[in-house]
Amino acid sequence: MAMVEEKKRENMRVMVAVDESDASLYALGWALDHFGAPPEKLGSLVILHVQQPFHQYILPAAGGPVAVYAPTSVTETMKKAQEQNTANVISRALSVCKEREMTAETLVMDGEPKDMICQAVQLKGVDLVVVGSRGLGKIKRAFLGSVSDYVAHHAKCPVLIVKPPKEEEHRE
Amino acid sequence: MAAEKSAMVVVMGIDDSEHSYYALQWVLGHFFSVPGTFKLVVVHAQPSPSYSVGLSGPVGFFGAGAADALPYVEADLKKISTRVISKAKELCSASKMNDVVYEVVEGDPRNILPEAVEKYHADMLVVGSHGYGAIKRAVLGSVSDHCAHHAHCSVMIVKKPKPKH
Repeated sequence: MAMVEEKKRENMRVMVAVDESDASLYALGWALDHFGAPPEKLGSLVILHVQQPFHQYILPAAGGPVAVYAPTSVTETMKKAQEQNTANVISRALSVCKEREMTAETLVMDGEPKDMICQAVQLKGVDLVVVGSRGLGKIKRAFLGSVSDYVAHHAKCPVLIVKPPKEEEHRE
Repeated sequence: MAAEKSAMVVVMGIDDSEHSYYALQWVLGHFFSVPGTFKLVVVHAQPSPSYSVGLSGPVGFFGAGAADALPYVEADLKKISTRVISKAKELCSASKMNDVVYEVVEGDPRNILPEAVEKYHADMLVVGSHGYGAIKRAVLGSVSDHCAHHAHCSVMIVKKPKPKH
């Protein structure tokens, strides 16, 4: 028969990818509610946030043919803003975990979210990766965002895509 | 704070493939170890015989011979379905999972699985994945892809790891 390892839930490593969207926090909460109780049953939890690179140059608004590198002060400000943003995301995620008496490892990576999530899966050797179905993309008619779609196809482990509850979809 | 919540309903779509059995075993091993917390509905979509025989093409193209094959194809498909369900039953009881409903529905899994989700008010749909590349997926269609897009509940796609070279 198929060679499934004898790992039980106690040893399962789960990674949840979060961004600024409510959907990803909902996904984290949903996954913990359905699989994380009682807390000692879940092997380990990793919360991943991928910081998207911002371009360090500014294109002049009117007619200039050449891109100009942004002065360091602007870059510094943007970097700080990003760090603040990441800190917010991580702290919101950790409080979702705390509500359920779960502890989690946190991981912050830089790059394209869809690629980094797949890389993190292999790096951390997780058994399951959890993503929200639609995060920052505001295309309402798409049921599945581009990151979750990519991860569903390319991650080398099982993928759980958490859809938001129906009421939220209508409210948006 | 841990409220007494009703058992989570999980619909699992399986076909006659190693990927499906792997996915079922994976789910049984990783999630269903606590009895009473899950209700499992195992759904096998049995392809309809006319689909298999290719009669969906222009009528009469294959001639009378194809129509004669129909009952045999039907019987064969039924045999496969029975085999799939009994394998599923075996895997479930090996994991001591007893709160299971088994269903065989004739038709396209891409429609049947979301319908089953609606019917059982499932919290989650689980499917295996054949791991087709982009080209095969475009030609043959991907059930797991379709379900990820169209099911109204959370979807888990379980992949059988590829052998390492």
